[in-house]
Amino acid sequence: MLIDMCGYLGHWPFRKINNNDVESFVKVMDDYKINLSVVSSLNAVFYKDTMQGNEEIAEEIKPYSDRLVAFCVINPAYPAWEKDFRTCIEKLGMKGLMMYPYYHPYRLTEANAIRLANLAGEAGIPVHIPVSIINVRQRHWLDTTEILNTSDFIALIKNAPNTDFIVSNGATDAIAAAAKDADSKRKGKVYYDFQRVEVFLPSFERLLATVGPEQIVLGTGNPLQYLDTQFVKLHYMDVSDEVKDLITYKNAARLLKLA
Amino acid sequence: MQSFADKLKIFKENKVVNWHEHVWADAKGNLNVADADRLVEGAKKAGFDVLVCSLPVTRGNPAPEMCKRYNDLVYEAMNRYPGIIQGMCYVNPGYAKEAVKEIDRCINELGMIGVKLYNQYYLSDPAVHSVIEKCIELDIPILEHAGKMHPRSEDQPFISDGTHFAMAAEKFPEALFIYAHIGGGGDYHWSLKAIADYPNIFLDISGSIYDEDIIEETVRKIGVERVMFGTDGSFSSSMGKLLGCKLSEAEKIAILNNKTMERYLERGMKRC
Repeated sequence: MLIDMCGYLGHWPFRKINNNDVESFVKVMDDYKINLSVVSSLNAVFYKDTMQGNEEIAEEIKPYSDRLVAFCVINPAYPAWEKDFRTCIEKLGMKGLMMYPYYHPYRLTEANAIRLANLAGEAGIPVHIPVSIINVRQRHWLDTTEILNTSDFIALIKNAPNTDFIVSNGATDAIAAAAKDADSKRKGKVYYDFQRVEVFLPSFERLLATVGPEQIVLGTGNPLQYLDTQFVKLHYMDVSDEVKDLITYKNAARLLKLA
Repeated sequence: MQSFADKLKIFKENKVVNWHEHVWADAKGNLNVADADRLVEGAKKAGFDVLVCSLPVTRGNPAPEMCKRYNDLVYEAMNRYPGIIQGMCYVNPGYAKEAVKEIDRCINELGMIGVKLYNQYYLSDPAVHSVIEKCIELDIPILEHAGKMHPRSEDQPFISDGTHFAMAAEKFPEALFIYAHIGGGGDYHWSLKAIADYPNIFLDISGSIYDEDIIEETVRKIGVERVMFGTDGSFSSSMGKLLGCKLSEAEKIAILNNKTMERYLERGMKRC
């Protein structure tokens, strides 16, 4: 059983992307024996009104409701964001929230961002904040130069104590170490993926030692990145089968409240 | 459908030459033996046969004595793992006379197989000419740290991108240049377009970036014959991008042990 917590559908403005329509995406999942993927809309990140992207993806994934789970993208610096959030969760059936403080004009320390994260906690859904969508070195000259600010993130988790968070596609071993103390005092928990954490170096060991196996999830970045890199790590990581099960699906199933 | 364990066999069943790795100095300036041991242990587990290693100074403008000291550490690693670690000689081209002398020592006395340049000068800078000419004379490749950043890298103002390689390749068609870590050097589309028409520029696929299509785009632009396997500290990413790309098995095997580069390697092997 495999659950991928980090997938995207839609267009990426800065280079050509393959397999970013729903049919091709599911075909790739089949190739890699991924049972379920969380997806969110790349279009929503770049549209002024993120709801246009959220509505698109909700419609697109309908034929694959047994394979795909959608997270909504909400910009708390845009009018009617709270109404949009509720619509996504209550009407469109979305199971999580994506926040992009480096693409949208707000900081995680601002009141609306804190309120949004708390609303997610009240709704019992996780907030996923990628460190970046693509590594900043590869950026197009019009793309953002910013990534997730760790201090702001730690402030946010303190201000949203009941909310579960997912951090992906970055130096999650270092972020986990920095956030450990704050996270230990919360009811909600922070989960980390290992897209950019190496198993042949001590970084994965550090992540595992810092948060334990119950707060690590699989994220691939499909279709922006080759999936095989995560499978190399799963093959070579020095953990028991029980721990691997937690990482590859059990933690994700718990977060997504799957039966 | 092939299982993932079966997919990984390509590394075990074929010769794998990793053209971009490093050993490092510890806080006291000695070879960091623990890191080197871990590197070799990991390589054995992953199925790599050869690690071509260097020890560059990554910031500042090092004096010749420091380059020499670091090359001695690489030599120590070569002797610690004979047949597995091959050495690249790192020099600062700004000290032209000393750099040429050091290349001579590393190649002819220590048995290294090429030259590593970092970000002290653009590859196209006339300051690098003496080093390039020495490499042509000795018939050895030049592996240059590379990348194209938007905006320009503030902490690496003289990092070479594809356009600098193209200028050097144009001026020195007899030289063989290796563009380092296409998966770690920023805007790879930029550099691939810049180097595409220069048959004396090869590249390694190392680096932590594994954008879907990076390998296919590389091969489309420069051909599989000019592509070499490397990791530069990122085993999983580099293995994953080779496994995940849509090349044929034969093309992947060709990257794992680039035939053009074999003769350089053989010279190093004779030393063992």
